[in-house]
Amino acid sequence: MIAIVETAVTLARLYGALGLAFAVAFVLLGIQRVDPSARGASWGFRVAVIPGVVLLWPLLALRWLRGRQTPVERNAHRAAATGGAR
Amino acid sequence: MSVSYKAVQWNRQKLVYDAVLLAALGTYLVGFHQLAPRLDPNVEPMNLRMRAFGSAAFLLLHVVLSIGPLCRIDRRFLPLLYNRRHMGVVLCGLALYHADLALTWYHAYGNLEPVVSLFVSNPAVGSVARFPFEWLGAGALAILVLMAATSHDFWLANLTAPTWKALHMGVYAAYALLVGHVALGALQTNTHPGLTAGVVLGALWILGVHLVAAHRERAADTPATAGADGWVEVCAVGEIPEDRARVVFAGGERIAVFRYDGRLSALSAVCQHQNGPLGEGRIVDGLVTCPWHGFQYRPDCGAAPEPFTEKLPTFDLALRQGRVWVNPRPHPPGTPVEPLPVPGAPGGEAA
Repeated sequence: MIAIVETAVTLARLYGALGLAFAVAFVLLGIQRVDPSARGASWGFRVAVIPGVVLLWPLLALRWLRGRQTPVERNAHRAAATGGAR
Repeated sequence: MSVSYKAVQWNRQKLVYDAVLLAALGTYLVGFHQLAPRLDPNVEPMNLRMRAFGSAAFLLLHVVLSIGPLCRIDRRFLPLLYNRRHMGVVLCGLALYHADLALTWYHAYGNLEPVVSLFVSNPAVGSVARFPFEWLGAGALAILVLMAATSHDFWLANLTAPTWKALHMGVYAAYALLVGHVALGALQTNTHPGLTAGVVLGALWILGVHLVAAHRERAADTPATAGADGWVEVCAVGEIPEDRARVVFAGGERIAVFRYDGRLSALSAVCQHQNGPLGEGRIVDGLVTCPWHGFQYRPDCGAAPEPFTEKLPTFDLALRQGRVWVNPRPHPPGTPVEPLPVPGAPGGEAA
């Protein structure tokens, strides 16, 4: 049991350390490529999003690598409107 | 959401909201530190602080969970919803400090790392009554941290509102875990009946307001019956108050039909910011305004005014024998639709 928990804690720390390293690069260089609304954004904003980037960094890393930007939300009306239903 | 981000878009309302929140919290914490030692004279100062912050977080979670359904029941609660995310971040801070104190108080002086000790010190996993309540608290804390960390509008835009909302529905899992955490933790060591009654009453309150709100919502989400041509009847034209909307559920979502300046326009009633209930909003300065955070859209095209870029699907309307009908097949977001004149109304057509 102790070994399992120690391994899980180590993996969580590794994930967090990678996330923190990514987050620093992302808020400096990548954030405005992924989300145009972040262009010229304040330093306070960049610091404020760091905890979330640390937690969800694989999502943003993939988006940055693929050159994708902010997704458009989907709901029943939007799907019908853009799916040629008319 | 579509102009350059700031850490916090401060305004007077948010400053007042946060000041009241912090003042109430400070009063509770000071009051707890004054009263609790009288009830339990042997309590250690650190343990007292741990209980104060843990109970403050648990109480604040009740407030956070009550705001949504209360706004559904009575619009006068809407100001509480306006800055609810700050309340969530404060709640997370209280819970983190409680956890830090617990790790230090119970787990910092053994052979194991405190975090490892937290998860292995109580091995009674197979027991209901002695189940490691620390695991439940840690699970709830993880959810609260994830929610606080993704509370900025950047995350709304980058996860999309439906995903963001689904993620933040995790607050209910956090609440369930915390009820277990308190029931198997604090209530086992402090058997005062008032404490047990408080937890039970709190759970009944949360359940009750959600049931009442859900009952009201169910009526709004009953799909309307379509006519032979697929169009859906909304109501008599006179039933739509000036600068307000009537909502009909069609095409898998709510459609809001707004009346303004003697005209009618229909939009998808799902605000692009947090998916707020746009149909419960009103026309302010000629713009449809969401009741939750004030996001605005032009009623005739569903587009937010410059420099914002949010757009909603629009719908065709028709008047048949004095009743309003809507075509539930939406136009792409931001598509202009000629407003339908209201006969006899100023700005509309002659009756």
